Amino acid sequence: MLEIRDLVKVYPGPVAALQGVSLDVSKGMFGLLGPNGAGKTTLMRIVAGLLEPTSGTVVFNGEDIVSDPRRIRRQLGYLPQDFGFYPHLSGEAMLRYLLVLKGVQAPQGLKKLAAELLERVNLTYAARRKVKGYSGGMKQRLGIAQALAGNPRLIIVDEPTAGLDPEERIRFYRLLAELAEDRTVLLSTHIVEDISVLCPRVAIMYDGRFVADTTPGEARDRLAGTIYQGEVAKEDLAGIERRYRITQAILIEGRNQVRVHMPAEEAASGAVPEGFASVAPTLEDAYLLLAQANGAGS
Amino acid sequence: MNSFTRWWEVTRRELFSGLRRPAYWVLFAILLLMAWGWSEGAVTISSGDSTVGGERSHVTSVFAQSMIQCIVVMGIGAWFLAIAAGLVVIRDLELQVTEVFHSTRLTPREYVWGKFAGAVGVFFVIWILYLCMGAFFNHVVAAGEDTRHIGPFILANYLSPTVLFGLPQILLFAGVPFFLGTWTRRPIVVFFFPILVLLVTLTFLTTWSPDWLPPDVNRALMLVDPSGFRWLNETFLKVDRGVEFYNTAVLRPDAGFLLSRVAFGLIGLAAVGGAAMSYSARLRRGASESRLLRSFVRAMKPFARVPGRRRARVTEAAEPSSADATLRDLDMATEPLGFWRAARVIGREEVRELVRRPGMYLFVPLILYQSVFATFIAIGPFNSPLLLTSGAVAVRQLNTLSLLVCFLLLFYTVESLHKERSRRLAEIFNASPIGTGSILLGKTIGNSMVAGLILALGVVASWGVIVWHQLFEGSPVGFDIVPFVVTWGGVLAPTFIFWTALVTALFAFFRNRYAVYGLGFALIIYTVYRMDFDDSFGWVLNWMAWNAVQWSDMGAFSLQGTELFLNRVLYLSLVPLLVALAVKWFGRQDRDATRLVHRMRPKPLLIGVLRLIPWAVPAIVLALVLFFGGRAGREGDAAEEAQKDYWRENVATWTDFEMPSVSNVDLDLDFEPAERTASVRGEYTFHNHRDYAYEQIPVTAGQWDPIDWTLNGEPHEPDDRSNLFVFEPVDPLQPGDSLTIGFSYDLEYPRGMAKGPGGAGQFILESGIVLTAFSPTFLPTPGYNEQIGVDGDNTSEPKDYPDDFYEGETEPLFGWGGAPFTVRTRITLPEEYTANGVGQLVSDEVTDGRRTVVWETDYPVDLFNVVAGKYAVKEGDGTAIYYHPEHDYNIEEMSAALDAARKYFSEWFHPFPWDLLKISEFAAFATYAQGFPTNITFSEGIGFLAKSDPRSHVAFLVVAHEAAHQWWGNLLTPGQGPGGNILSEGMAHYSTILLHEQVYGDRYRIEFTKRLEQMYGDQRFVDSEQPLVKTDGSRSGDQTVTYDKGGWVPWMLHQEMGRENILAGLQAFIAKYNPDPDFPVIQDMLAVLRDFAPDTAAFDAFAEQWFFDVVVPEYRFSDVTKTREGGEWVVRGTLENVGTSRMRVQVGATAGERWSDEGDDASRTVVNEDYRDARTEVVLGAGESAEFVIRAAFEPERVLIDPDALVLQLNRDMAVFEFEE
Repeated sequence: MLEIRDLVKVYPGPVAALQGVSLDVSKGMFGLLGPNGAGKTTLMRIVAGLLEPTSGTVVFNGEDIVSDPRRIRRQLGYLPQDFGFYPHLSGEAMLRYLLVLKGVQAPQGLKKLAAELLERVNLTYAARRKVKGYSGGMKQRLGIAQALAGNPRLIIVDEPTAGLDPEERIRFYRLLAELAEDRTVLLSTHIVEDISVLCPRVAIMYDGRFVADTTPGEARDRLAGTIYQGEVAKEDLAGIERRYRITQAILIEGRNQVRVHMPAEEAASGAVPEGFASVAPTLEDAYLLLAQANGAGS
Repeated sequence: MNSFTRWWEVTRRELFSGLRRPAYWVLFAILLLMAWGWSEGAVTISSGDSTVGGERSHVTSVFAQSMIQCIVVMGIGAWFLAIAAGLVVIRDLELQVTEVFHSTRLTPREYVWGKFAGAVGVFFVIWILYLCMGAFFNHVVAAGEDTRHIGPFILANYLSPTVLFGLPQILLFAGVPFFLGTWTRRPIVVFFFPILVLLVTLTFLTTWSPDWLPPDVNRALMLVDPSGFRWLNETFLKVDRGVEFYNTAVLRPDAGFLLSRVAFGLIGLAAVGGAAMSYSARLRRGASESRLLRSFVRAMKPFARVPGRRRARVTEAAEPSSADATLRDLDMATEPLGFWRAARVIGREEVRELVRRPGMYLFVPLILYQSVFATFIAIGPFNSPLLLTSGAVAVRQLNTLSLLVCFLLLFYTVESLHKERSRRLAEIFNASPIGTGSILLGKTIGNSMVAGLILALGVVASWGVIVWHQLFEGSPVGFDIVPFVVTWGGVLAPTFIFWTALVTALFAFFRNRYAVYGLGFALIIYTVYRMDFDDSFGWVLNWMAWNAVQWSDMGAFSLQGTELFLNRVLYLSLVPLLVALAVKWFGRQDRDATRLVHRMRPKPLLIGVLRLIPWAVPAIVLALVLFFGGRAGREGDAAEEAQKDYWRENVATWTDFEMPSVSNVDLDLDFEPAERTASVRGEYTFHNHRDYAYEQIPVTAGQWDPIDWTLNGEPHEPDDRSNLFVFEPVDPLQPGDSLTIGFSYDLEYPRGMAKGPGGAGQFILESGIVLTAFSPTFLPTPGYNEQIGVDGDNTSEPKDYPDDFYEGETEPLFGWGGAPFTVRTRITLPEEYTANGVGQLVSDEVTDGRRTVVWETDYPVDLFNVVAGKYAVKEGDGTAIYYHPEHDYNIEEMSAALDAARKYFSEWFHPFPWDLLKISEFAAFATYAQGFPTNITFSEGIGFLAKSDPRSHVAFLVVAHEAAHQWWGNLLTPGQGPGGNILSEGMAHYSTILLHEQVYGDRYRIEFTKRLEQMYGDQRFVDSEQPLVKTDGSRSGDQTVTYDKGGWVPWMLHQEMGRENILAGLQAFIAKYNPDPDFPVIQDMLAVLRDFAPDTAAFDAFAEQWFFDVVVPEYRFSDVTKTREGGEWVVRGTLENVGTSRMRVQVGATAGERWSDEGDDASRTVVNEDYRDARTEVVLGAGESAEFVIRAAFEPERVLIDPDALVLQLNRDMAVFEFEE
């Protein structure tokens, strides 16, 4: 159980990255959604013991991480947003080195384990290649392999699917889902699809605050019957924008496919634009509406 | 935006970001301190002499500024330029900003040149500020009290050295590291270039200039010296041109030197061009390394494998069991590593990476070259090579290894600690459960392997060189590993451990590698500077153990072993504290600024400090022991104050007090060498040889308490005037009467701890004993001692000697005054020691493990000493040499020299009146030899460990010189006053020339006299040099005048008078003044010799020039031709004396080599059969020239001046003309 209480982080400037956030996260996958600069990485780094908060507490399984970050390290699998490796080592050697540092043990031995982990992230073919020759996606997968290694009780993954192709993303989803069965996985992303696929629970952050703590289903249910979709000519879009709350506007073949939010009572009064039809809401609709409500733009 | 604008944008950004970096502010602070130091006259041209009140060379002159810029840019600037320029592209690559840059219109060329210009621009800004501050200090502040070293402000004096010496170096030292950094992308390689150039320049290019070096080679070396100092030194500074010249002349570079400076600047710029090409090529290729670098690393790989590491384990990837298995199937668990295992894992990875670094293969050989091979070209007396034993080799490398390995550890430790951050692995690495202590220890272990490897290779290389010397140069010295283990293990290892811990703690605190580089560099340089130039930086602060070991094969650590041990333990005891701080500060978690401010409040801060105190207690205690121990010891404040009191209380009353003479000394000395103590009892008999009575007799004692005095055998309490004890006999001591003064006390010498590292000229130590009666070190001395208590505060005006000071009775230069006296010395000490005193051995008995010997003088002496050690003895013909049993290398040559000296000097000057002439060796805690009557003492570094090859015969020479003091010093004690010491040291050199010729023949005498001449030319100070009759040792350059010129001038007089005449004259001279109440000086000698001169007019002319004036000729040939006329060859030419003096000098036309280098000494001194020469003589005065003609029956190959080295002159090598074939 991860308990975050009144967490504040102020960077010199001053910039308030976290403004007193509190959160309880139990076993399973927990998604952290928010735009760039919302404070997700700051929160992740504090939980990982890599950043000292200005105030507040973080407790994992009864152990205070803020006062002694060492306590979290033995239980942690961490994939940072931005990382690198020793370029002169092969992927396998690098992974084995990190496994040793983390104190990972396995009956089959570390050599075999490293090979198994590389297989899980589809890097067996490049195991002997030096890391400096890896593409961005390969490095990301090597990072994932080290984060999943061992038996971490808390896994923190920050923007894990950045740089992964769709196939690798799905492979990664599978791995994370498997791990989340009996441990806490904190997934930070601004890709809504990752959350909606993986996370039974999600918190949405804006400006260093949680603006929602919900489940993807709950978020969608709240918007049921309020999302309408239709196509709008380019010159008519400005008029729609003035009259309705647009959640998405995508230009397809010269026409805008627009989704608007309209409360049921308004819809009942016949305010639905011509050509628009009610559609099932998505988590993305909920996220974007929250963003608008918090002044973060669409 | 055009190309220039883009370039300027890169330059501007780099310039401003560079100016914000701490390293450059450290540089500016260092330069500021130096500028202030220069303004106080800390460094200027060595010319003139401030002590005589004359003009001093200006620190503001163009020559002084040139010298300073050579030193500063090379010594300090090169290092910072390497940081400024070498790392600039690497940093951008680490920040991964270059790809973004090059997605814009910025071209690689614009980027590279912009980065270079910005980086160099930072240095230029600081350099210009430094020059402005220097000029401000010099001309506005004029910081020192004595501003004679400050000249008028001339802008060109600052600017022209910058253009000529500074700019080319700046471009070179920025350009090449910039290229290396851009090309290899490895920070460590960046520092290779400045250090390589610095070492080669300092140890070779600027300093190596043997007298036999051909002018063309010398010229070539001037042009390849990037600092330009060799050109400046060889062209203007080496041979002193006088203050007036340096202060007013304009520095005009010749065309060759100008081209050389332009070339160095262009090399730097070409390197930037190369960097641009390399960078562009890599951008095109992608991130891979250049082919050349790859092939270099590949070539090094066979040498880089870690022993025992099986490479296959790294590269073989195991096949996975099943692709469909879940993560749970892997059955993983996490059990954090233990402390030591984790450290081992980290350390192994560090080593793995270290062996891949090209820097290892560049720096390690460089350090080995510098420390090992430079050691073996060490120079001893008479510029001769030294015979280095393993201990001496190990200790001579201590400073070099300490300095260079500390630099290397600074690089490797910082880069290692920064590695995860620069590779962006820090987040993953820091989130792992491995302990911070393990990380730091592992990295330290890894980097320590570098130091360990260097030391191990250093031992192997030292072994190799010693064995090579044994096999190919006939060196008798074998290899012994123990001194290496003891000194390198005991002294260097703690330095490296402490330094690594300190650098780690600094990095943990600052989290900025440039700040740590700057601080580390400044700390090393500051320590070395303080240790070498300021002895107040003593044992407490000497973390590098700089100059800490005075090696002696006779007992290495017996002198300052305790201080050294405490110092080493002190710095080792700081390691846990530094490690604790490093672990606490090491940035695995980014600190919160607000919490940090809260932690800095007084209370939490105090609590933090209090928590650290237990860690610091051992170091504090040890520092206090060293600090107060040093101050309570022999160099301490109390000792200094007592000496000052002695001076203050007595200088006015007793300075010119004329003592009654001592007629007998009776001593009973009981030594405990292991405890440094002695029990002293003795009695002096004073005889009133004057025509008036004495009511008071002063005696100077050391700081021995209590002293039991007796007067005429009765207990007595003399008046204690700050250790000048004044005896007042009840009845004044009448002319012709005698009285005795007795004393008894216990003595420890050296007393207590030393404040800082250093040697000792006298001591009672387990390694041996050497004590002299010059000053009150172990015995009271008669009268007031003018040397005690003199310092900056306590000074007297120098004694003014009128021209006729020597008329009437002159006091002796040294000794106790009055007539020679008899000495009886009874010495008791452990039986394994042999103890020698003056005179002859009367008895030698051993009782209960204690040996008691009695020495009595069989002929009066003027001074005495005591020396003891665990000796072997080599007996000769009325001579004996007592030596350390392992130092038998030169014993045969030394014994032969001592026998020859006794025999020939007795024939030439005066019969040797004593029974036995002996030499005793003492530990090399000081490097000197002293010729006490019958009992000469030699430091082991002199003679015993000289590499006495046939070319130098240095063991022979030093023995001959010291033996000559039995005649020139003892039998003839010189008078006090100007020129007096030349009768001692100069005549000893002259005697050595004669003995060398007698035993080894012309060839070696010629080489020896040329060597003395070279030393005189190099070390004289034109402006301060006085005539021999005025030389009193107080001026710069007086030493070479006293010894080298003082030996040469009698040798020239020898030619002038003829051998038989001068020897007869010298015999008469000694006979006249031994004994005599009047002690002679040069004028007295000349008065005697004149009677033996065959041509008194010529004698007077010679004496007027060489004794009463300062002259020295310098010859040049011009218009030299050879023609065949009939059956002979005729050489014609012009000889000019561009120096001073009027001398008859020979000009020789020669063909073939005069001597062979084959065979033994005897055959090497036989003139080759195919050598021919023909000579003529020319007499030239100052500035005169004359044509000469030489007719020869052979075809001459060269024309040279003074083939037999009979006329002292400057730049003899310039007076050689080689005919082209």
